[in-house]
Amino acid sequence: MAELQTQELTINMGPQHPSTHGVLRIELVTDGEICVKAIPHIGYLHRCFEKHAENVDYMGVMPFVDRLDYVASMNNDMTYAMTVEKLLGVEVPKRAEYIRVIMVELNRIASHLLAVGTYGLDIGTFTPFMWAFRDREKILDIFEMASGARLLYNYLWIGGVWMDLTPGIEEKIQEFCDYFEPKIDELDTILSYNQIFINRTKNVGVIPLDLAISYGLTGPNLRGSGLKWDLRKNEPYSIYPELEFDIPVGTGEQGTVGDCWDRYMVRMREMRESLKIVRQALKKIPEGPFRAKMQRVKPAPGESYVRTENPRGELGFYIVSDGGLKPYRVKGKSSCFTSISCLDDLCHGAMIADVVAIIGSLDIVLGEVDR
Amino acid sequence: MKSYFLDIYTGLLSIFKGMLLTLKVAFQRKATIQYPFVKRELPSRTRGRLNCNIKDCIGCKLCAVACPVDCIYITTVKREPPEEIPLTSPESGAKQRKFHLPQFDINFTLCCWCGLCTVVCPTECLTMTKEYEFSVTNQKELVWQFGDNQRVGPKESTS
Amino acid sequence: MLTPTIHEKLTQKFENAILPLKELPPGSHSDPFIAVNSSKLHSVLKYLKEDSDLLFDNLICISGVDYPDRIEVVYHLFSYKHLHKVVIKSLLSDKTKPVLESTCDLWKAANWLEREVFDIMGVHFNNHPDLRRILLPEDWEGHPLRKDYKTQEFWHGIKVGM
Repeated sequence: MAELQTQELTINMGPQHPSTHGVLRIELVTDGEICVKAIPHIGYLHRCFEKHAENVDYMGVMPFVDRLDYVASMNNDMTYAMTVEKLLGVEVPKRAEYIRVIMVELNRIASHLLAVGTYGLDIGTFTPFMWAFRDREKILDIFEMASGARLLYNYLWIGGVWMDLTPGIEEKIQEFCDYFEPKIDELDTILSYNQIFINRTKNVGVIPLDLAISYGLTGPNLRGSGLKWDLRKNEPYSIYPELEFDIPVGTGEQGTVGDCWDRYMVRMREMRESLKIVRQALKKIPEGPFRAKMQRVKPAPGESYVRTENPRGELGFYIVSDGGLKPYRVKGKSSCFTSISCLDDLCHGAMIADVVAIIGSLDIVLGEVDR
Repeated sequence: MKSYFLDIYTGLLSIFKGMLLTLKVAFQRKATIQYPFVKRELPSRTRGRLNCNIKDCIGCKLCAVACPVDCIYITTVKREPPEEIPLTSPESGAKQRKFHLPQFDINFTLCCWCGLCTVVCPTECLTMTKEYEFSVTNQKELVWQFGDNQRVGPKESTS
Repeated sequence: MLTPTIHEKLTQKFENAILPLKELPPGSHSDPFIAVNSSKLHSVLKYLKEDSDLLFDNLICISGVDYPDRIEVVYHLFSYKHLHKVVIKSLLSDKTKPVLESTCDLWKAANWLEREVFDIMGVHFNNHPDLRRILLPEDWEGHPLRKDYKTQEFWHGIKVGM
């Protein structure tokens, strides 16, 4: 039989696309349905965060930091506040630390709900998306009671928190914990162990552990490949040493270790662990001041890099101070930036539909990628 | 051969369980509210649109300095000697109002709703209300004026 | 292994390429760092990655900082095996044409991180497989995070800025 003449086709998965979780452009070079190369192009959401941060004082950078990973805003606030506190040498009161951890873990649950819901939507099911967002609304209501805003809080300030917890919020958080626990089981029944979902995500986008470390992947992407590494346990900060929780790791239950299903399941299991943390913190929260007494924020000349465990990986801030009221240089190292850089290696030999599944399992938010 | 049929059985079972659950939830109470006929009760700390009570403003410009996006524009004119210096309201500390405020504009296209300006105001004349429904069709109408003897609202009205 | 020990080990192997450890003022909360001569940077980083006592297999971050007399490129490294961190800095005194050797062959993470430093600071990396702008459009003029940067007036006929 004569050789068929074929040609590789370059398709543009453009900046406006329902499955790319934001404004991301991917140049796909395909041989029929099989993907040969997938080159991501970013920069469509670049808002010059690092340049703005040099022109505002330390407190004024906080609203900008919120907008990096806009889905997990409390976590960003916490990382930035911790970096400036390290430069200042200020100690945060115990009550403020407990409030911070409760808010951060609730935001982790909200962020994972969004990741899981939109992943289901990418694969093709609509119901888990609706259920995940219905539960997420309850968390956003709690945040609105505490800080006044639903998505970009500006609540965790340098030295503590902005205002103390409103009366009545602790009962609401307790109510939410009791309400939410059976809902994770519901999500498991309808999505995680659904055979269609498993067949779409098992053995797809496998990241071997040495590739994950070389690319600098962190968070659920690294834990899905089998390494038990979580900054809350391995390099503890705040009050995490006093709390008991476990770190879920990908085990290759449905396919190979490090495939899309493993990363997705790590997120589902982390939600249960976060609930445990919130419950323990609510019981142990002490009385006391909610913010350290400080003069103007004016760190001594020096530099510092602090990283914390965010829902999507590790966020780190490298701040250089020259002794003035405004930072000299603020660099935000986000996890999604490195996650999306390994897309080309993962998409070799995958079909175009698998590219959508891989991007969804990496869980990127373009605000963090482009800053 | 056996694993082939076992696979079909487990697959169908998982989908069947999911569908039963969906049926059960379909008859539960709906979570959607019919906005705009029904509106949510907003908590007391909600950060909505800014409002400035100009009679309490002492013209210190701390809010304009604290704003990270520079959306507050203030012009002050000092009161000269024969003029009497009024005081702000008793709740805000009865401070001396040494300046006229012919211009106190806030550009809501830039405002990022962070609330930092309300924190630094010494007389608490700048507060955040619960209003969030003030969208317009012309961008110029989102610059609001709050100055002395000015009607609180958009600076330029195109309608 | 703490920074002074790593500094000692590196000075034994590379002698003059490693600058002396800067003394931090007492009570300072700043991170200690090791400054390296820019021409030997790649060999130092390769040694840091491959030596069995050091084994820095993870590159956390590459940042560029613009000072009046130099540009600093800062590498934050971490080891999953020995659980230690180090900060390596390279000082480039020629601000018109800052050049460094790329470390893409050591860590795959360096690919995009170096592209970002090139984009916003203007540091050129030799032997980089694909050095082009990443966050800004391909035909943008200038390197924004330099302190003397002036935004261009127009880009493709669109007015830049407000």
